[in-house]
Amino acid sequence: MKVNFIYRIFKILFLSVLFFSCSSDLDFDQTKDLKLEPVFVTNLAYFNVPATQLANSGGGQVLFDEQFFDAFKEKFFRDNLIKAELDFEIENTIIRDFTVEILLLDANGQILETDSYSVPAYSGNSNVIKYPTEVFENQRLELLKKTAKLAFFVRMAPGPALDQNSTGSLKLRSGATAYMEIE
Amino acid sequence: MRKAYLILMITFQLSCFAQNKEVLYNFTPIPQSSLLNPGADVSYKFYFGIPVLSGVSANFGSSSFSAYDLFANNGINFNDKVRNVINNSSSKDKAQVNQQLELFSGGFRVGGEDSQSYISFGFYQEFDFLMYVPKDPAILALDGNRNYIGKSFNLGDLNVRAEVLSVFHVGFHKKLNEKLVLGGRAKLYSSGANATSVKNSGYIYTGQSAGTPNIYDQIISSNLELKTSGIASFTKDEYEGSIPKDIAHNTFFNGSLGLGLDAGLTYYFKENLQFTASIVDLGFIRHTKDIETIRYKGTYNYQGVNPSFDPTNEPENIFDEFEKAIPRDTLYNKYTTWRPTKFYSSLQYSFGEARYDGDCNCKGKINRKYVNAIGGQLFMMSMPVEPFVALTAFYKRSIFEKLDIKATYTFDSYSNKNIGLGISGTLGKLNMYLLVDNVLEYKDVSKANSIAFQFGFNFVFKDSED
Repeated sequence: MKVNFIYRIFKILFLSVLFFSCSSDLDFDQTKDLKLEPVFVTNLAYFNVPATQLANSGGGQVLFDEQFFDAFKEKFFRDNLIKAELDFEIENTIIRDFTVEILLLDANGQILETDSYSVPAYSGNSNVIKYPTEVFENQRLELLKKTAKLAFFVRMAPGPALDQNSTGSLKLRSGATAYMEIE
Repeated sequence: MRKAYLILMITFQLSCFAQNKEVLYNFTPIPQSSLLNPGADVSYKFYFGIPVLSGVSANFGSSSFSAYDLFANNGINFNDKVRNVINNSSSKDKAQVNQQLELFSGGFRVGGEDSQSYISFGFYQEFDFLMYVPKDPAILALDGNRNYIGKSFNLGDLNVRAEVLSVFHVGFHKKLNEKLVLGGRAKLYSSGANATSVKNSGYIYTGQSAGTPNIYDQIISSNLELKTSGIASFTKDEYEGSIPKDIAHNTFFNGSLGLGLDAGLTYYFKENLQFTASIVDLGFIRHTKDIETIRYKGTYNYQGVNPSFDPTNEPENIFDEFEKAIPRDTLYNKYTTWRPTKFYSSLQYSFGEARYDGDCNCKGKINRKYVNAIGGQLFMMSMPVEPFVALTAFYKRSIFEKLDIKATYTFDSYSNKNIGLGISGTLGKLNMYLLVDNVLEYKDVSKANSIAFQFGFNFVFKDSED
């Protein structure tokens, strides 16, 4: 009852303003068109493996690690991500060839995608390789969104022996660019 | 849908009220002018306001954009409009709304016919909303951080307060002599709902520097806090009820209580040179009912995934780390908010003696009346970022004995061409007033940066009308 009365007062109040005023045509439905399209950049992964961690007599060797990656657990992020790009950069100052493999795994450990990057041996010159951007759209993006873990393989090709005095390291830096569309 | 409109209206369009009632201030034919200066030179034998209609006021203001800027039906994409508004705003720009509704009011003279002491009282409901443009967070939401490497997005830009309250007040003013009127008013506040988030700090930073193992330096430092009273129970799943009804009930019967004080004076240097000053709402509310404070406090440096290729190392979960670094804390501490305190002052020069004041001076007093008055007013109000200041020049004229008008020209951060007009007339014992601010904007209210109006009806009884 009281609330009704207050509503009525408000009506009177607003009407009284309308009587002696004009207004341009306003369209509040436009708010439905609101679409935010922010683009975020963020770190994805990095590592730094020193040659001493790879000491061996000259044969091939494989390092492996697996990490949780639960960015996509967030429904809001999953629902509004329309495109993603991953950029990888590897610097090798070890006198061996490498192949770095990055695997996207789902929550059950099933492989969704494997990306492989070959890295030439260090020969005294600058040895930083920027790999082409991995673009995730459509089907590939859907797979990316299922990612719950990242697995890393560092496969070292046979070559000169490495020991505790070997110098150099294998460094990975990577970033992600997330294209959002929020309506 | 209706809710969405409401939120949008509140957030964007109405952000309003400077609470400066420059037309009403010192417009003494209106009894409600003593709400702005308890020491105003108002006199009556007694008066009472028509319940609910004695004092209705609303004030909307937005310093950097108007409803037209956002909602014009002109074919421009809404997203571009939002972007323009954000780009043209600074974090000091604000949107305000203030609305007051007097439920009852009255006043009477105490101490006999020759006395010049008055008591007034009343009860009104008030809604306050103030939000600063959250410029940095808005840019982050619109654009993301990709084009802003090296920039710290300031989380301190988040600054908002809103309150629904009722105020019961009793005031006293006395004309001590021909030169001086002093007055004071005590207020009891009852806050039905309050949300305050005004002391935020922190930043979101993405930078790039050589020699670091990662591509980006990414730091989130957060010290965000939202205090609420009278709201928490509505957010619970088990809540079943009508929010407006419950807020109304809490506002009038079960609010968090506070105390406040108004004080003011009128001083006549000469008969036609008058000075006034007042301070309004010097007070606080102690929030004790249904309180909940949500806080995000901490610092997080995001590194990304970091495989060590060491099988003895447990895999880390980076997002758990985030929640550990910046946890969501819910606190239930009582808190105190200060009312937005207002300060008014004016200097007025009167000229042109009235001819219609023809009653004989039976009491032997010479009460000269002037037809015209000009002067200036100053208004200041406390705000979270910086005080709001407005300067007003005014002209008052008595057209007939019982019809007064006042015109004002005000400079403030919302507008530099704010013309206000007020009219107060008395028909028999019925006093009516209508005061409108920013009259130039009424030709297209949608383009107005601020709009304010007050109107009301009172019954006023003077001695001569006995």
